[in-house]
Parts: sequence; C-alpha cells; structure tokens
Amino acid sequence: MSQGTPDPSPERDEEVHYDASSSRYDIFECPDCENVVLALGRDDPPMTCHGEPMERVTDVEMSVKPPDVRQVLLDAFGLPKAGLDICLCVIGEGPLSANEVAEELGYDRSTVTRYLNTLVDLGLLQRAELNREAGGVVNVYHSVDLERMRRETLVGFYVWAGEAAALIEEANLTKQDYLEENPDRSLPDVFWESFAGE
Amino acid sequence: MSVTRRAVFEELAALTDAEREETTTVAALATAMDADSAAVEAHLDGLAECELARHEPDGSARVTVTGEELLALGVQGAVVVDPREAG
Repeated sequence: MSQGTPDPSPERDEEVHYDASSSRYDIFECPDCENVVLALGRDDPPMTCHGEPMERVTDVEMSVKPPDVRQVLLDAFGLPKAGLDICLCVIGEGPLSANEVAEELGYDRSTVTRYLNTLVDLGLLQRAELNREAGGVVNVYHSVDLERMRRETLVGFYVWAGEAAALIEEANLTKQDYLEENPDRSLPDVFWESFAGE
Repeated sequence: MSVTRRAVFEELAALTDAEREETTTVAALATAMDADSAAVEAHLDGLAECELARHEPDGSARVTVTGEELLALGVQGAVVVDPREAG
C-alpha cells in the first residue's frame, strides 16, 4: 500500500472483545427470561429480574469494532464535528465572544450560533438573555454543572442505544415471519426492505 | 505573571460600577492583580468584544450592565457571549 493511503480494512485488527473480568462496563442477563442489561459503575449485579439477582454475562463470542466518539455523538445526538469542536472550545477559558469562537475554529459566525443553540437543546449548555447597555439583549451560553452534563449525555446515549437495541430485537424476532410471508424472496431483500423508511 | 480573562473580568467588576459609571485604568487593574499590563489590556479587549467591559474615551474601563448581570448569574466555567439586536 502506498504511503499516506488509508487502510480500507483495518476493522479486524481494531475489534474488541467483551471481557467480564476487566471491562469498564458490565452486561447482565436474567437466567429465567431474555432480559439483558448494561451497567456502568457497579461491581455487583445492579438489579433483579423475577426477584433474583441478574447474572453477569461471560460467554460473549462476538467482537465489535470500538466506537469512535465523533461518530457516537453524530449518531446519538446529531452533533457533527463542528458541534463537538464548539463544545470543546467553549470549555476553555472564557468569557469568549461568538466571533472569537468562530475565528478560533474557522467556522462562520452563524454556524457557531446554530450549534450553540443545538448544544442548549441537548442539555450540554444553558442559555440566558442579559440586557445590553446599547439596547437589546445578549445571549449568554454557559456550561451546565459537570454532574448534570454527565447524566444528560449518558441518559441521552442510553435512549439512543435502547432504540437501537429495540430495532435489533425486532429484526431478530420478525425475520422468520418475513421469510414465511415471502417464501420466494431472499432474506437480505426482505430484511432490509422491512426497515425501509423507518 | 499570567492572568486569565475570567480573573480580569472579576477584578474589573470589583473595582468599577456600571450604573455609577465608575471606571479604573489598565495600570490599576494590573497592579491589583500583580499582572502584566499588556495581558490585562488584551483581556479587556476580549471582554469588550463580549460587551462585558467598556472602554471609555479617556482610556479607562469599566464593567457593563451585561457584565454585572452575568456575574449575578453565578456562572462557573465556560461562557460564550453572542450579542444580537433587539426584536
């Protein structure tokens, strides 16, 4: 491969395998039903199912490609690189003007304002209107409490992950039905068409 | 000695008053903060861009009404100021 050309297939080398003994998170399942949960920051089974502690999953054979934080933010929160850049920029020393942020990052002022408002909508910044000496108002965007930011981003991601898990579960549960209803068609066609427009 | 914009902002607000239009000088601010005058002046320019500070024609400076309102919010951490016209 020529120098400077990205490797088109590096995924296999980068895949990670869940190890219950060393993972930063835990996956638990109910021994009596199909309930599977993800837990962060707990050493013990964090919840019960059917009145009994759930069991730590240890027999995971599938490897996954580790997520890229930029892609996660884009997929889960619709926050593209510009939004993340602005989020990281404003965490530094301030106060800064929107023009300074735009100049620092090389974005249009309107882009900065748009993403500042997006970050407010996501709960990562707060906005206040202050009186302006020359008349009118000044929008001030300021960081939320770090503990609150942690909760907002984690819960927000869990909502997204829950939606993704529900889709996977739906696919697992219904693909056989699709096949039975469409015996003359291949599974890939039927499968992907079933999610078209969702 | 390095000084942050936030520290200059807070010192300016402590030494001046928007409603009474009480001002101070860059030299007085730098002395009060044991900081370099050029660094203090650069931060004042940035605060003026944010409409949190105001340069007076005689070279002095003061906090603005906007600046006092921001401090009253008790906001810690990152702040971005985006002035816009009324209406």
